[in-house]
Amino acid sequence: MRPGAPAPALSAAQVTGLDDPVVMQQCQVGPREADGAIPVGLGLSGMYCAACAITIEGALKQVPGVRDVQVQGATQRARLVLDPGKVRLSQLVAAVQSVGYGAWPDGAARAQNARLQVQRQLLWRLLVAGFCMMQVMMITTAQYVSGPQDIPPDIWRLMNWASWVLSLPVMVFSCGPFFTGAWSALKRGQIAMDTPVALGIAAMFVVSTGVTMGHTQWLGHDAYFDSLTMFVSFLLFGRWLESRARERVTQSLESLCGRLPEAVDRSLAPATVADDDLGCSEVATVPLSVLAPGDRVRVAAGQAFPADGQIIQGQTEVDESLLTGESRPVPRERGQLVVAGSINLGAPVWCRVERLGPDTRYQQIVDLVHQALTERPGWMRTADRFAGPFLWAVLVLAALGALAWQWIDPSRSIWVAVSVLVVTCPCALSLAAPSALLSAAGALARSGVLVRHLDALETLASVDQVLFDKTGTLTEPHLQLVKVWHRGQILDPAMGLEGEALTDLQRAASLAALSQHPVSQALVAWAGAGGEVPRWQQVREQAGQGMEAVDEQGITWRLGSAAWALGATEALVWPEARVWLAPQGCDRAQALDAAGFSLDEKIRAEASDALQALRQIGVDVAVLSGDQLARVVALVRQIHVNPPVFVAAASATPEGKLGVLQAAQQAGRVVAVVGDGINDAPVLAKAHASFALDQGAPLAQSQADFIVLGGRLGGVPLAVSIARRAMQIVRQNLVWAAAYNFVCIPLALMGYLPPWLAGIGMALSALGVLLNALRIGASTDAGRHHPSTHTNRV
Amino acid sequence: MDILYLLLPLSVVLVLLILGVLGWSVYRGQFDNLDQEGVRILEEDEQDP
Repeated sequence: MRPGAPAPALSAAQVTGLDDPVVMQQCQVGPREADGAIPVGLGLSGMYCAACAITIEGALKQVPGVRDVQVQGATQRARLVLDPGKVRLSQLVAAVQSVGYGAWPDGAARAQNARLQVQRQLLWRLLVAGFCMMQVMMITTAQYVSGPQDIPPDIWRLMNWASWVLSLPVMVFSCGPFFTGAWSALKRGQIAMDTPVALGIAAMFVVSTGVTMGHTQWLGHDAYFDSLTMFVSFLLFGRWLESRARERVTQSLESLCGRLPEAVDRSLAPATVADDDLGCSEVATVPLSVLAPGDRVRVAAGQAFPADGQIIQGQTEVDESLLTGESRPVPRERGQLVVAGSINLGAPVWCRVERLGPDTRYQQIVDLVHQALTERPGWMRTADRFAGPFLWAVLVLAALGALAWQWIDPSRSIWVAVSVLVVTCPCALSLAAPSALLSAAGALARSGVLVRHLDALETLASVDQVLFDKTGTLTEPHLQLVKVWHRGQILDPAMGLEGEALTDLQRAASLAALSQHPVSQALVAWAGAGGEVPRWQQVREQAGQGMEAVDEQGITWRLGSAAWALGATEALVWPEARVWLAPQGCDRAQALDAAGFSLDEKIRAEASDALQALRQIGVDVAVLSGDQLARVVALVRQIHVNPPVFVAAASATPEGKLGVLQAAQQAGRVVAVVGDGINDAPVLAKAHASFALDQGAPLAQSQADFIVLGGRLGGVPLAVSIARRAMQIVRQNLVWAAAYNFVCIPLALMGYLPPWLAGIGMALSALGVLLNALRIGASTDAGRHHPSTHTNRV
Repeated sequence: MDILYLLLPLSVVLVLLILGVLGWSVYRGQFDNLDQEGVRILEEDEQDP
């Protein structure tokens, strides 16, 4: 849709679908206000700059009944407060479309709102910790820089009490996530990374409180409020950054699922009327939410099937790319089953509704995915495995130190134990992994791979086999124009067409643009814009055959199958061509003016390089496919790697692919899967690491660990390399944290470590870890920039 | 130095007030969409007669 140009008006079916009160309820994002107004979320499309947000806000504000509008450009969403009695959703969508953008009711808005509340709370915790830290630092700096007699003891005590009051909000509110994390791990009998953090914070606070209250005999003279607040602020900052990055990816995925709700024609004839007599029965256009099993509905060409059902009259071709990721239409006739969400391409058919909503095949696959996710092989973070032994070692050392000092100088024994606990504060340890993983995720995002689960980077580093799906993953998602037949010559369009052949291609594309058939869309995608586009009149489409139209000079052209365009039912001129464009007329010599187009699947241009790169870093590759073996082998032969790619499975169902994956996993291999269709989703969920292409089914993307943008397969070997580098950095960071502890624990045990030195040590160790993590971004993408084609950012 | 008996508690109270203001602004949604804030100057002001 060109921004600025009004889109075609909403059809009656779309208006009925939008005005369904159920839909309004689904996109409501908050409680009803006192005067009856409700907040509602809309998804938007077509925005490409910040000014678009202003235009859309202006258009929506003019609809009567709308109280307030806020458009967020970065996430392509609008939040409105409106009076449901006065405004209908169709009016809002029409208003947005009138200024040249798209809009739909945002069913995901409620989930997004819940996440927003969580985000806000995290940010407030961070702000509380940060501001308290700043004030406590200010007070304790005076204590640090003062000489022995500069500050009278009363003022000193007042300073300690002030710091104590300021640390209370941090302990009670900001540290909540750490304590709840440690507690829930404890209930499971495990020690997570939160446990040493929680123990360290608690120890620091208890001891500092004791010192403030005057028990300096046992606990030493110094309070640790500044170290405590600084530590908490660092950790919360890291968590906040991580949650922001995750939220971005989640929102970009949700916007993919935005579609206008449809209405469908339901037969009003009672059940006693036979299926064959339905043709003349009356129909009513109803929204989808009122359908029930047993209803008979008429699905027009270009509409999506509203539910799983059986065709009871008519025959057509169906686009099931929603499920299989493959856009090649499949024929369906009377008695055959169709799946909810697939698109009717050929002719209007009557269909009996069998399964709706939660019972559809789509939903069953979703459930299969969720099941596979819960059984996924567990993978603890490296740092978590260190947390347990580390914690025990620290506790034992602290106890030993206290015991030893009982003999030497009992007044210092507890203080020494406390120093040990505080100085081994796991600042570096708890930042070691997250900092490296976040930095790796940032480097990957700049190169066109979105990371949805940071933990998956650890798993990806040890992957030794990658399974690729064929259709849509290794091959381009749409059919490609392979050859053109023109005046007896077979031309290769990749070499560039000229003259008459190019004119014919553009003429065919301009006519094909008026059709929804995937073959037509492939032609349009290939031809692009440009050239002289004739204005077509008297356009008609014959289902399953082709299109016919009259151009400005009065010549009738036909685009479609050979029988349709050339009139020849036998002795096809060139059997490979799927689509012919030919002028119609009495003069049969004009048959020579015909052009034939052959379309087929084509392997992506970068597939060979990507697979070769994977082989070079020691990762094995194989192909899984639901297509027949002969076709798979023929296509795989187009990939030039040595030795040739192994076909692990052909004609495989989703369950079959899952079986191949499980066999490989049980053989001890760490397997990553790259896929795009919904029937890949169970395999993606069960694999150790999963990649989805952003051109594929949204469900596959919502379950995958990594999303490859723009279909650039080169992102897969890049992700593996960066993951391995990230794990290297994590190990370096852990070594650094261990070295720091090795040096500081003896110093603390011997009583040489004052708290200010411990604070500096903590800061330096954390800084060292963070700087080391930043090296990932610098070294890997110098000179290898793949500009992202993701259009989410405004 | 006696003034510190006033200033220290005052600064604590001030920080607590600031925390309250920050919480109010966070929950009012002022930090939800930081990218959009830079665009706000481009919006046309509504003319009130």
